[in-house]
Amino acid sequence: MLLTYLLVSGITSGAMYALVAVGLVICYRTTGHLNFSHGEMYMVGGYFAFTFHVLWGVPYLPSLILAVVAGGVMGLLSDRLVFRRLIKAPPMAMVVATVALSFLLKGIARFLWGGQGEFVPFPSIVSGAPVQFLGVTIFPQQTVVLGVGLLAMVALTLLFRNTRAGKTMQATAESQRAAYLVGVRVERVYSATWAAAAALATLAAVLMAPLTQLTPDIGFSLLIKALAATVLGGLGNMPGAIVGGFVIGITEALAAAYIDSTAQDVSAFVVIMLVLVVKPTGLFGAKGQRDV
Amino acid sequence: MSNAKRLFWLPRGYVIGAGFVGFAVIPLLLSQYYIFIANIALIHIVLAVGLNIVLGFTGQLVFANGVLFGVGAYATGLLMVDAHWPFWFAFPAGTAIATIIGVLVALPALRLRGLYLALATVAFAQFALWVFIHFDSLTHGVSGAVIPPLNFAPLPIIPPVGIYYLSFVLVIVAVYLAINLVRSRIGRAFVAIRESERAAEALAIDVPRYKLLAYFISAVYAGAAGGLFSAVVGAVVPDQFNLFQIVLQFCMVLVGGIGMIWGSVLGAIAVIGLQEMLRGLRELQEVGFGLLLLLTVLFLPGGFGAFLAKHVAGWRENLRNTSEDHAR
Amino acid sequence: MRKPLPFVLALSLCSAGFAPSVFAEEGITPTTIKIGTMVALTGPLSPLFIPQVNGTQIVFDEVNAAGGIHGRKIEYIREDDECLPARGVGAIKKLIYEVKPFIIVGGGCSNAAIAEKPEIIAAKIPWIITASTADGLTDPVSPYIFSSISPAWTEAYGILQLAIDDKKQRIAVVYQTDAWGKARIEPLREALKKKGIVPVAMEEVSPEPTDLTPTALKIQAANPDIVLMLLYPKAAVPFLRDSFKVGLKPTMVGVSPLLEIDQIAKGAGGPETVANFRVLGAAGYGPEDAQVAQWKAKVEKRFGDRFNLYHLQGIAGGQFAVEALRRAGPDPTREKILTAMSTLEAKADTYAGPFKCTPTDHQCQKTLGIFALKDGRITGVGQTTPSR
Repeated sequence: MLLTYLLVSGITSGAMYALVAVGLVICYRTTGHLNFSHGEMYMVGGYFAFTFHVLWGVPYLPSLILAVVAGGVMGLLSDRLVFRRLIKAPPMAMVVATVALSFLLKGIARFLWGGQGEFVPFPSIVSGAPVQFLGVTIFPQQTVVLGVGLLAMVALTLLFRNTRAGKTMQATAESQRAAYLVGVRVERVYSATWAAAAALATLAAVLMAPLTQLTPDIGFSLLIKALAATVLGGLGNMPGAIVGGFVIGITEALAAAYIDSTAQDVSAFVVIMLVLVVKPTGLFGAKGQRDV
Repeated sequence: MSNAKRLFWLPRGYVIGAGFVGFAVIPLLLSQYYIFIANIALIHIVLAVGLNIVLGFTGQLVFANGVLFGVGAYATGLLMVDAHWPFWFAFPAGTAIATIIGVLVALPALRLRGLYLALATVAFAQFALWVFIHFDSLTHGVSGAVIPPLNFAPLPIIPPVGIYYLSFVLVIVAVYLAINLVRSRIGRAFVAIRESERAAEALAIDVPRYKLLAYFISAVYAGAAGGLFSAVVGAVVPDQFNLFQIVLQFCMVLVGGIGMIWGSVLGAIAVIGLQEMLRGLRELQEVGFGLLLLLTVLFLPGGFGAFLAKHVAGWRENLRNTSEDHAR
Repeated sequence: MRKPLPFVLALSLCSAGFAPSVFAEEGITPTTIKIGTMVALTGPLSPLFIPQVNGTQIVFDEVNAAGGIHGRKIEYIREDDECLPARGVGAIKKLIYEVKPFIIVGGGCSNAAIAEKPEIIAAKIPWIITASTADGLTDPVSPYIFSSISPAWTEAYGILQLAIDDKKQRIAVVYQTDAWGKARIEPLREALKKKGIVPVAMEEVSPEPTDLTPTALKIQAANPDIVLMLLYPKAAVPFLRDSFKVGLKPTMVGVSPLLEIDQIAKGAGGPETVANFRVLGAAGYGPEDAQVAQWKAKVEKRFGDRFNLYHLQGIAGGQFAVEALRRAGPDPTREKILTAMSTLEAKADTYAGPFKCTPTDHQCQKTLGIFALKDGRITGVGQTTPSR
């Protein structure tokens, strides 16, 4: 009973890590930069959902949509104010700037919403007693989270690879100049990318919020897990990030139960360090490498 | 460079002299509260200068300086509390332990660059924090350890004054060594590595060796700063060495000026002073320092050091001892 | 004198080095008494400490309105220690050397308090701890430090006593892995050993967990009839929520930080999740009880806070301090206050039991109240005075 619960729970949280990681990877492939404030986009997105649904009483589904839109707007704002100026800067500038941005957002969130934990409940149609399915105990809310998450991931990967928008993003990543020359509005592509990534993170937060707790500090720990997923799969590799997310989720759940409750926090860091030292290109090979 | 408009005339030497005298007389004129704050600032000068050497001069994007600061503090503190060593033995030993760990961590990091290095060191910093908290048979866990006060016998001074002047002397030594280091061939090798590792290799610079040296130096500085820190505060807890600590250090280096030692000195004093003014407004600290760092990266990438170098007489930091320097 | 400067410098150097650490009668004038406190005014734990300081402030305001203590009005000054030793030492030094209070009433987070304690003792300032339960602050006894709040071990012993009184045989314990948790699990282990009881389950959780279903399942497998929760709200809420989810519903007992049962119920998913939940805490009455109604009105008027059990702790601490100052007489010195406190016996409005200090025991309060949520209100349902 415990093991199956752990696996299901690990797969569910793994789906969320994968979703957040995909957002990271899309940005990385398109712009060449890793956004260290991506975790805070998740956190702020969660608080938007909290504000709409719990504080203002908007029903669940509209709250979800509103929050995702608001998250996208956050992404656009960050692009306009911060990222745009640093697109061509060396990685150090962007890393430091996004770390600074993450603290700025964290402080603002603490100021606006307070530091105690908040809870976003699921609508009553979904939550409820556990269900037995093929001898495995599953909670309905987990299936919702997993289902929506998987759908989003598959849709994104297909979009990125097969649609014109996705191909435009890839083209911009390959060569900015060439993209300009064929009439691609590079700034627009970048803006859209940041907005999409932020919206994705918000979606993950909204799905995950009822299962966890919302505090201003969750952004960073989520970022580390998403980074671990990305690094494990190979930096820039989208399917790799998805697989990485599930691996991290399951590893965490098992470590927490069978090793130590505190091992849950540390597994992500250990994964990152091991992979980068032993095989930096990850399980499936890195992609979209900029010359460092 | 001399085409830049000179805003006013304030030779660096005067400012340094004033600062020197100012710090020297604080214990004589002001209360223990100011002695404490100034001591914290002195410790952070050492930290910032060390970080600048590896981050600013050598261009290695490392987030591990906070860890080594913590290791120095824990090593010195635990040797005093649990092994009952006197401070005069615990402090050098603690610094040495931090340095060894710094070098051990640097070895695998030598192969990594840019984003990968940043990622690995961020993960390492969080991992180290976890160890501080959970390895509680050694570190006393989350509640930390209280350090017994120092004994400066036979000198007739109270411990806070004694540790203050000790810190002051160490800062002078540390800054002096750093200035001479960056003006030497080693310093120029660091900068060459920062600008382009490939080009540096082509110039027959042994890149791994110099990188390791940069890590080593910053580890010594961070470890020493940590040992002093535990003695001044009288306690070590893990919470002190989290990611916010690193943001503060980055603020000091970037706001002061990458690649400028005196910039880091100013940056450390400014950041600690600002943090003290924001006492009681902790949320503002996160917002404030995050904003400060962000604005510096966006608009003033060279930090105030670069600004001063361009617009105020006497603030340029040269990489070699030229006749220009001697003429001032 | 020909060259006064070296002489003056030498003199000031000597005086700086010889700075006396006993300030005779600082912080007191014929019309005012300065009282200082350093607490976590900002940061994640501030919602626990700010109400306590506000409660103490209200008591001082009342006393001032009635003319003060022997004609002196109280000036209460707070500094933020951010629950970090480096910031705490800065705060206490600022208080001692710049603000120069007569006594200190307050002090919060034990992380910072452990670093502040040596400074306070070195400066020989009387310190009444109203908010921190860390045993190490009052044990071993220091002549300068007294506590008006029940120490951590009383909660551990008390919670076990409750289980024994309720005739529960299968005791499970869940605790968190931080300094606060450690301060309670160790006396609890001690208490269990003394009573010869072996718990059926003992689970550790992280202080900020996301999902405690595995823990709930593991405890459920041990089939307990009572679960002792040594947790803060951030861990307690997921625990109650997830336990309810998996059908783990024995009696659950929590300690002081969980006194806001209504908030906890909200987070855990509704009043059903706390139907069997009780809290043992350093307070005498529920915030809606008649005995504290007048304090509730005053706090709400002055601060606009939502009146909770942390205010009660602050009020009791303030009353302890006022009583000590009164007994020190119209010409108080720090010595006189310490003497008065070492044998003080008094009763606070907001605690169920009396204060009693002795020269060898400065933990002056040991009575805990027991609370539950009834009809949406936090109500007192009993009390206990554990002993070691």
